Amino acid sequence: MPPSTAVQAHSDALISLRGVGKSYTTHSGSFTALRDVSLDIARGELIGIVGQSGSGKSTLLNLLSGIDRPSSGELFVGGVAVHAIREREMASWRGRSVGIVFQFFQLLPTLTAIENVMLPMDLCARWPSRERADRARGLLAQLGVADQAHKLPATLSGGQQQRVAIARALANEPSVLLADEPTGNLDSHNAAVILDLFAALAQRGQTIVAATHDAGVHRVCTRTITIVDGRVAEPIASYA
Amino acid sequence: MARDAWLHRGRTVAVVLAIVVGLAGAGTVLDAWALLRRVTRDGYLATNPASATLHVDSVDDELLRAVRALPAVREAQARRTVLAGVRIDGVWNTGLLYASNELKEQRIGTLAHEQGEWPPTDGAFVIERSSVDFAKSGVGDSVLVRVGKGSERHLPVTGIVRDQGLAPGWMDHVVYGFVTPATLAQLGAPSSPNELQISVRDRSLDREAIRAVAKEVRSVAIRMGHAVTSVDVPVPGRHMHAAQMDSLLMTMGAFGVLALCMSGFLVVNLITAMLTGQLREIGVMKAIGARPAQLAALYLVYALALGVIASAVAIPFAAYGGRAYARFAATMLNFDIAGYAIPRSVILLELMAGLLLPVFAAAIPVLHGSRIAVASALRDAGIGGATSPWIQRIHGPHRPLLFSLRNAFRRRWRTGLTLVTLASGGAAFLAALDLRASIRDSVGVIYDDMLRFDMSVRVDTAHDADSLGAIVSQIPRIERVELWSGARATLADADELAVPFSLTAVPVDAHLIAMPLLRGHVLGNAGAPEVVVNTRLAEEQPDLAVGARVDLSIGGRTSPWTVVGLVESAGPQAMAFVTRASLAHVTGDARVTTLLIRAASRDPAAHSLLVTRVRDALEAGGFAVGSSQLSQTNRRVIEDHLLMVGAFLLAMAQLTIIVGGLALGATMSLAVQERTREIGVLRAIGATPRAIMVMVQAEGLLLAVMSWLIAIPLSLPVSVLLARAFGRIMLPVIPTLVPQTLALGIWLVVVLVVSIAACAWPASRAVRIPTVAAIAYE
Repeated sequence: MPPSTAVQAHSDALISLRGVGKSYTTHSGSFTALRDVSLDIARGELIGIVGQSGSGKSTLLNLLSGIDRPSSGELFVGGVAVHAIREREMASWRGRSVGIVFQFFQLLPTLTAIENVMLPMDLCARWPSRERADRARGLLAQLGVADQAHKLPATLSGGQQQRVAIARALANEPSVLLADEPTGNLDSHNAAVILDLFAALAQRGQTIVAATHDAGVHRVCTRTITIVDGRVAEPIASYA
Repeated sequence: MARDAWLHRGRTVAVVLAIVVGLAGAGTVLDAWALLRRVTRDGYLATNPASATLHVDSVDDELLRAVRALPAVREAQARRTVLAGVRIDGVWNTGLLYASNELKEQRIGTLAHEQGEWPPTDGAFVIERSSVDFAKSGVGDSVLVRVGKGSERHLPVTGIVRDQGLAPGWMDHVVYGFVTPATLAQLGAPSSPNELQISVRDRSLDREAIRAVAKEVRSVAIRMGHAVTSVDVPVPGRHMHAAQMDSLLMTMGAFGVLALCMSGFLVVNLITAMLTGQLREIGVMKAIGARPAQLAALYLVYALALGVIASAVAIPFAAYGGRAYARFAATMLNFDIAGYAIPRSVILLELMAGLLLPVFAAAIPVLHGSRIAVASALRDAGIGGATSPWIQRIHGPHRPLLFSLRNAFRRRWRTGLTLVTLASGGAAFLAALDLRASIRDSVGVIYDDMLRFDMSVRVDTAHDADSLGAIVSQIPRIERVELWSGARATLADADELAVPFSLTAVPVDAHLIAMPLLRGHVLGNAGAPEVVVNTRLAEEQPDLAVGARVDLSIGGRTSPWTVVGLVESAGPQAMAFVTRASLAHVTGDARVTTLLIRAASRDPAAHSLLVTRVRDALEAGGFAVGSSQLSQTNRRVIEDHLLMVGAFLLAMAQLTIIVGGLALGATMSLAVQERTREIGVLRAIGATPRAIMVMVQAEGLLLAVMSWLIAIPLSLPVSVLLARAFGRIMLPVIPTLVPQTLALGIWLVVVLVVSIAACAWPASRAVRIPTVAAIAYE
């Protein structure tokens, strides 16, 4: 069985990490960002990853999305052994399985809102081309920015841009939505709106993992995971 | 700064390469110009060229002494020029034999001894260098020579000399040879001198003053009982091919300057890239107290250092190319390169250009970059920045492709520079290809449509047309024969030293020559005193305008003529056409000298056989053949050499393409560098490495196709200018105002290949950017 199709047989969790570690070698020596992280995340959970800057939150998200590779341990998403996916297959897997929301929205400036949402669909060809525009419009409507569909990102407010970015992340109906500081560049009102959107999505079965400093995350999350110096701190709080 | 240069070696090498290519291109032309200028001016003057040449019935020692005694005359010498036949590959070609008893002590128009013996001994033949290839004879070979009805003789080629005063033998299809008067006598030709060459004592005299001296010499000759048929006074100190060389160098120079300007654009782009990459460093340096002037000086010194490296590489390249080109041009126009040392002033000029080009090119981006606010420099740019709303007007069904298309217009200033650079290269390339096609077409038009004869045979002396016609009419496989004659004429009211022009007398129903009529009408009335002039003659003699009634002096008689038409020129010669009957009416001589023949077969091999058959038949009929020429040989030789010039232009155009490719590569590299974050995001949302590579290449290809479209109209004026310059050098070239489909196709393929090659590195770099690093700025 090729690594990319290897499945995790022993767990019902959508995301499962077993002894995952990540070290970097720099000119000043070796640096460990994550140490022996093991955790399971069930389908439909809205997980808040919290911790100080440099604690390893972003590293964890990068490993979950396949953007980065663990130095040790195993990592499964939707039954797929992400640590074993070959590099040339990684982008396709990520495009279909993971949606990513960034702190600075990272919408492509030369594409309109709807074009930004259609971009992942074009890249992964999960939907027939004739359906893509309708789906993008539906996602924008779902996130309350349908009237901004044909505007360039530079003309949208931060909150609107982040909603469009969430719509883009959901474009290929990923099993997991990963968000790195999704409210870090928003005012409190817009931050609350985004977190409410996440909660609504999770209620509809969307699994979401959000790394954040936002204290408000406790309000909407099913669980928060605190990372301190690259380790998962005990106990893991559950709000479910 | 040095560390940054090393860290971004690719970019540093690209800047240096850009300057090297532009400087080497422009430097090649500059060096060639310097070498050739010295040749045309100093080298030519060193041969002590004749100030005037008088064509006299004969020049004896008494006349020579009398002329040399004139105060205004510094030197005088005599020689005889004889038209001969020289057999090459079984075909008789035109030969010009120069004979003098003073070849060794020649003081006017001195010859450069190159190989073998000099001067020739009796019975020997010293060949002029530009005729060696055409005659296929060098030292150790022999040439079969015949003059008029004299016997054919094999003359051993015993030496090679160079006469800078002659047009190249290969170009005029003439074998130039130097022999003794005794050799002429052996060939049965008159051997006494009939040309009197003089040089004036005061070298500062202008043409008018020299004409006055020539008139004085003419008077002396007439007083001593000699007949002077014509006097030539060339422009003093100016080589006969100086104008052609100027045109050629100006054309090449334009390409060199273009390459240099394009390099400048490229350096602007690359320095901008460097500053973009170092924005944070600039911010940090300003934060710790660096002033804008200090920063600007830092980067300008860096640009200067790159200029030093580039100059060190480019100047030797330019010297090599310049020498090669000067050698080529000298061979083509029968110059002799006296020395290959590039003047110091020229090297200094190139060095200044090499050093200042990057500094000036860097000035704008450096000043802009050094003035940027600290906060802006330190701020994480992230994705975005202002994007003009008009960009939304670009539509497309596929977002990744649409992203590439719109990205091409994000930095309009830079896109514009890249397009200008690439399109300039394209225009130069298309124009060079167009010129090549135009040359082929024009030579084709001349030899297929204008000069419809396959061969010309000139008899040694004029004969009755019916007798010659009767002999040739017996020869099979001849489609048409026309019998022509000619004379030399001057405007009757012109100065007595006026340069005569050729009058070609053709049958009234002439079909074997059909110059396009530009104004007026063709010769229609056999006996009417009507003359048609070609454009060259009309330029030289403005009095011969269509409709003008002029008195012409022909063979010492003055007669009234009307200029009725203006026709296109078929070559660089100034010509006028009249009917045979009208010329005979004036001169009282209806005899002809030249047979123009069109063969029934179009097969070139058949033409060679036919010309031999015609010569043999004429000889058998008692008519001595002076010379014969095959049109196909003339055509091939002209095409070969003209295309050589085209090839040189094409080589220069290729330089501009290299610069254009570098510009595109630099632009795309810069775009990839600026969009590192975007590429990371694209990878994060599912773009495969292949998709990223396609996006970068698509953007490059869009620019390439746009530059291709811009290059098409841009090439037209360039084509016209090239054709005009070329027309002045060689023969009239009609520019193809519609670019050649094949040329367009070739350029499209070239520009696409250049684009793919130029974008390969930026594309692979884009793919290699680790996603985690690309999005980790925040």
